[in-house]
Amino acid sequence: MTLYYSIKQMLRSPLKSILFFLLVGICAFFLALGGAFWYMGSDYMQNFDDKYITIGTVEQKYEGTQTRSRWDPEKEQYEYYNAGYYGEWIDEDVLDFPGADYILKPRQRPYFGAYIENLYDGIGSSDMGTVEATPVETGAMYPSLLMRVVRTIDGTMEEGELFYLCDHEDPEPDVLEAGKTYVMQLQLRTFAHGPAVKEGKEEMEYWLAPGITSSQYTADKEKVYDPVNEEDRYYDEVTEGFYETDRGKRWLKLASFQDLQMRTIPVQPVDGTCLLMHFYNGEAQITEGRDITEEEYAQGAKVCLIPEELAMRLGVNPGDRLNLPLYYADYSRAVGDASILGGRGLYLYQILNAKGEIYDVFNEQEYEIVGIYKAEDRGSGSYSAGKDEVVIPWNALPENCWADNIVGVSHMTGATTSFRIPNGTIEEFQKKWEEQGIDDLEIRFYDMGYTQLREGLENRQLMSAVFLISGCVMAVMILCFFSNLFITGQRERITAERLMGRTRRQCAASILTGMLILSAAGCIAGSAAGWLASENAADNIGDTLEFDRTYSDNAIANTEPAEEAEPPGILLPCATGSILLAVSVIVSAGYMGETLRKEPLKMLGEIEE
Amino acid sequence: MERIRVESVSYSYQNKYQTVEAVKEVTCSFESGKMYVITGESGSGKSTFLSLLAGLDCPKSGRITVDGEDLGGIDRDAYRREKAAVIYQAFHLFPLLTALENVMYPMEIRGMKRREAEERAKEYLDEVGIGREKMGKYPRMLSGGEQQRTAVARAMASGGRIILADEPTGNLDTENEEKIVGLLMSLAHDKDFTVIMVTHNRQIADRADVRLVMKDGRMTGCPADSGQ
Repeated sequence: MTLYYSIKQMLRSPLKSILFFLLVGICAFFLALGGAFWYMGSDYMQNFDDKYITIGTVEQKYEGTQTRSRWDPEKEQYEYYNAGYYGEWIDEDVLDFPGADYILKPRQRPYFGAYIENLYDGIGSSDMGTVEATPVETGAMYPSLLMRVVRTIDGTMEEGELFYLCDHEDPEPDVLEAGKTYVMQLQLRTFAHGPAVKEGKEEMEYWLAPGITSSQYTADKEKVYDPVNEEDRYYDEVTEGFYETDRGKRWLKLASFQDLQMRTIPVQPVDGTCLLMHFYNGEAQITEGRDITEEEYAQGAKVCLIPEELAMRLGVNPGDRLNLPLYYADYSRAVGDASILGGRGLYLYQILNAKGEIYDVFNEQEYEIVGIYKAEDRGSGSYSAGKDEVVIPWNALPENCWADNIVGVSHMTGATTSFRIPNGTIEEFQKKWEEQGIDDLEIRFYDMGYTQLREGLENRQLMSAVFLISGCVMAVMILCFFSNLFITGQRERITAERLMGRTRRQCAASILTGMLILSAAGCIAGSAAGWLASENAADNIGDTLEFDRTYSDNAIANTEPAEEAEPPGILLPCATGSILLAVSVIVSAGYMGETLRKEPLKMLGEIEE
Repeated sequence: MERIRVESVSYSYQNKYQTVEAVKEVTCSFESGKMYVITGESGSGKSTFLSLLAGLDCPKSGRITVDGEDLGGIDRDAYRREKAAVIYQAFHLFPLLTALENVMYPMEIRGMKRREAEERAKEYLDEVGIGREKMGKYPRMLSGGEQQRTAVARAMASGGRIILADEPTGNLDTENEEKIVGLLMSLAHDKDFTVIMVTHNRQIADRADVRLVMKDGRMTGCPADSGQ
């Protein structure tokens, strides 16, 4: 009966009731839509930081330029050119300044050479070799001097084989005498030239390689003294007992050169895959298995990532183990330069240490292959992946265990030195870095477009907050207005009911039932509309995000399924609708309580006034 | 037969400025089958006294008994629902219910089935002279006299035998006033109602079975007081 009359009375003022229903519905719509936007925005924002990574690369700048000379044997004169030069090499420690909030600290990374015994099963290469040879005729090593192989120490050249030798760098090239035997390390460089070459015939010539010299450095980037380097001569005459001398012994050590060359792969220790630019920019992507986790990096787990081609050559898969005997560390070049993707592999130059010995293995461990990646050469130079580059956690090795096996050093470059900072902190970092007053380092930041996208997301969040707040404010105002209209404005009805002996509770039920039914209907309709709109909006947002990510997606993101903003489902509109209904109950109950607090006698008096 | 007994009832209330002693030591009784009229100047306390009889508030002292039950000790909402109906000058009908529904309402809140309540309501409306053609109209579509007659019908439908009317003819013309007074008198005389009416109208007062006068919160001419 109460329900019947309550609804009946609401329906007898249809305009007011419809308006109330519509306004409550609109509020519920705004709340559901705003809530859904807020949820999606928050959800996406939460995942956002996981998807985007901000890294910085560090490169030491030239201190200035200087004029340098180079001998041009064709013109028989020095050629002068300007080239940049570096000042004192700056240590990575300068980047450890107060306020620098690193996720992964900056490090100048070397790559290691690892000897993989079962990697190569070919017959060697004729590109390089160590031989004893004699000139066919006495002559200077420029232009090309025809030589005959007397004995092969390393490589595939055969006894009696003729080859051209040339020294392009010495203005006064040494003369090699016919009938004498010389030992040398050869490297195929360019076309032979000069009178010794038959006209119309294109043949290659070899240059002298500095194989017997050492390029060993200390951990402090100081060159380790090697007397052989003093002589600046890359060949020796073979005489009786020559191989008993220090230099002679070194030439024999080079017998292992090609073996090492063919079986050495670069191993890149790093604190996070994202710090390697080829992974960061998507040139390298994990195709099997998984990435090395942050925990594994932090704990120095014996795990690695290897490239597809190497995995095929070694016949290994994720889960298999790979033994990596590491025998040298090179700071002088990035892996992408040392082992050019698409090239033959690592180019070794000096395999002997300052004592004239082949570098000993400084660390040998087995690593579990957790992921196989495919790297593309997109022409990013030093930032490219290296051929056969194996990635291992920096912490998998004892710190500086390679200190006695450093074959080259250089300044920090973007390809060898990088760090990671929290997303969205570039500006703050730059400000603090500038305060350090160090001008000789250039720091470049990469954030996959995070800053711009974040701004867009924040705007979206703001929009949803506006929806939510306007929905809330509107809701409260509408409820107050209509409560006033339906309750306070019906004092006469309430009085009449009280005079007829209805209790306060019955009066409240009689007045509120219709209003709350309308409110509930409005909440349901509005929330349903809000839900549908949010589903629709989620689709559109998904499309937008797909578009946004076309320029910011990368290998790291691709290793995990992309998580787009998911609409919150039916629960959220149910919750917002319920909250709105609860608020309408509270507001109307407040008005009702205030009205019913008065005794009928007083209400009568007020009405009659 | 005595239906209502009022013993030394006093009532005061606080307005913005002072405590008003509206009813002072009133003692009287009201019997069934009679129409009582209370007259008095404005502010004499007669409407307040009627409200006390309606159980809309409690006396500060003294007591009111209805059919032997102390009004202070019973559920006063139930009392108004089952024993006493109140009619006001301003009618206080439900503006969004039809005349018929207004009369049905008190019966339905007592639990009567809708169909039966409708039949009874029609009878009551017939009795007060509201024709069928007007039963479906909203109060604002009825004249003042019709609205007040509807209010009387609603009072009749309340199920009690006490009607408390506060200036029921105050807004009516002479013809309608006559009809309302006639109705109330016939309820008292023919149907054994106890009708207690507050009015300023001397002519109506003259027609009452018992005339009471209130002055400064005190009742004069009270049946019990006067030993009637």
